[in-house]
Amino acid sequence: MKRQNVGQIRILEAFLAVLIIFSAFAVSANLTITRSNMESDDLASVGLQALMQLDSDGGLSKLIDEEDWVGLRETLSLTLPAGTSFNMTVYDEQMQQVNPTLISNGALIGQKTAFVEYVCVSRKPLFRCYVIHLQLAVAK
Amino acid sequence: MPATSVDTFFACSLMVLLVLSAMAGASKVLYPQISNSVDEFAYERYMEISKHLLLNPGEPADWGQNSQVVPEKFGLAEANAEILYALDIDKVSRLNDQNRFSLSYAQMFASLKISDVSFRIEIEPIFEVSINLTATFHAENETIYKFEVSTEKQGAPVEAELKYYVVAENHFEGSQAHTSNGVAAFNVTLPENVGGPALLVVFAKAVYNIRMVSFSVYAFEHSLGEPQPVGTFLRLSPLNHTLEAFFGYQEITLTEAYALTFNYSSTLAKIANGNQSATYSIPCFQDSSPILLVVTGRNSTAFFAEWTSYPQVPLQTGVNFDDSTTISNVFAYSYIVTIDNALYRCKLWLGGPRL
Repeated sequence: MKRQNVGQIRILEAFLAVLIIFSAFAVSANLTITRSNMESDDLASVGLQALMQLDSDGGLSKLIDEEDWVGLRETLSLTLPAGTSFNMTVYDEQMQQVNPTLISNGALIGQKTAFVEYVCVSRKPLFRCYVIHLQLAVAK
Repeated sequence: MPATSVDTFFACSLMVLLVLSAMAGASKVLYPQISNSVDEFAYERYMEISKHLLLNPGEPADWGQNSQVVPEKFGLAEANAEILYALDIDKVSRLNDQNRFSLSYAQMFASLKISDVSFRIEIEPIFEVSINLTATFHAENETIYKFEVSTEKQGAPVEAELKYYVVAENHFEGSQAHTSNGVAAFNVTLPENVGGPALLVVFAKAVYNIRMVSFSVYAFEHSLGEPQPVGTFLRLSPLNHTLEAFFGYQEITLTEAYALTFNYSSTLAKIANGNQSATYSIPCFQDSSPILLVVTGRNSTAFFAEWTSYPQVPLQTGVNFDDSTTISNVFAYSYIVTIDNALYRCKLWLGGPRL
């Protein structure tokens, strides 16, 4: 290698180093920002607590027994915080879907989503067990 | 200067620039990660504290019922409650500063026994009721008032059954209505010989859940009697199913007192009569509804009707975090709670210094 070309090689090396290190940063930036579970945990907690309160006097299973899906939707809409969209499915003991119509207050649009599974029982007229799947979403 | 020295100088400058950029980039990338982990820890901690407040009765467990007792340990749950998140009606009432026996924030803070956590408690009905007087018609011997009542949850209409009561001097009546798309309109007719001001008390019960009951009260002028702000003549403090009415003036004489819920109404029996106060017994209604307590009387010659609710909601107590969010970790937690078999929304704000 000629002596007068050494400086140019060093510059090329430096540019290469800059390129490699910045590309490493670009990749690592995407790897290190992990999404926190905090907000979806919060949403799931709100959903679970709402279902618990509605079930505390047997009102939740009563609505399911009576197949009052509109009542169930309206009750949940009132209980959940404003701006929360939900999608609910009710299953029986054999995990067969009970509700023929969609129990929802709109499309699940939002960046925060959560899923809640809740088991409730009814005693009238027979002892029945229902598994409720509640999907929640709220815009950030 | 030789060309190699220029090249070396240029290369060294690039390397310095690279190192500085790397430091800036690293701090930018890592900062959210570091601060997030701190926030998450604070979030979990405060959430446990908020649950502790709502799931524990405190010590002594019946601190709410005894007006002289300041709790050693703070907790709002009903003692021996069969369901979770059931709050004690008296403990909740003692959070409201309208109640003469309310706790100060310093007392609540001291009994919580967590020195680095400030808090704020808000409890309100699940949805709101608003009353508007839209028109007044004067007839020969009576006046007709046209009211519009709307029930909504943060702007969204709520289908509800309405029960309303009208209280004036020697006058009490109740009637029902139903909201259509969250709005109902009805007329109230008052004879001219009935003394005012009058009070319209409206209860709204959600159609699909009988435990979601909200209320609103509207005082309006009638027979030249102008309504005064709440608490002008009496300070009403319900506790332990007893209503204490403390007089605001010397010349006050009380006439009637009522307890109203969605399904029931009753006059209150006076159990004690002091120089500057009176005590009434509040009946226990088997109704998932707040109880509205209305006391009527005269101050010299002017008729008045004072009211309060039992539990005394909506309430807001504690620290105002509006200006502290930049220097503190502040988190809000929303719960649905049961008070006397009716559902309410409870929001707890907890905050502490940023770590």
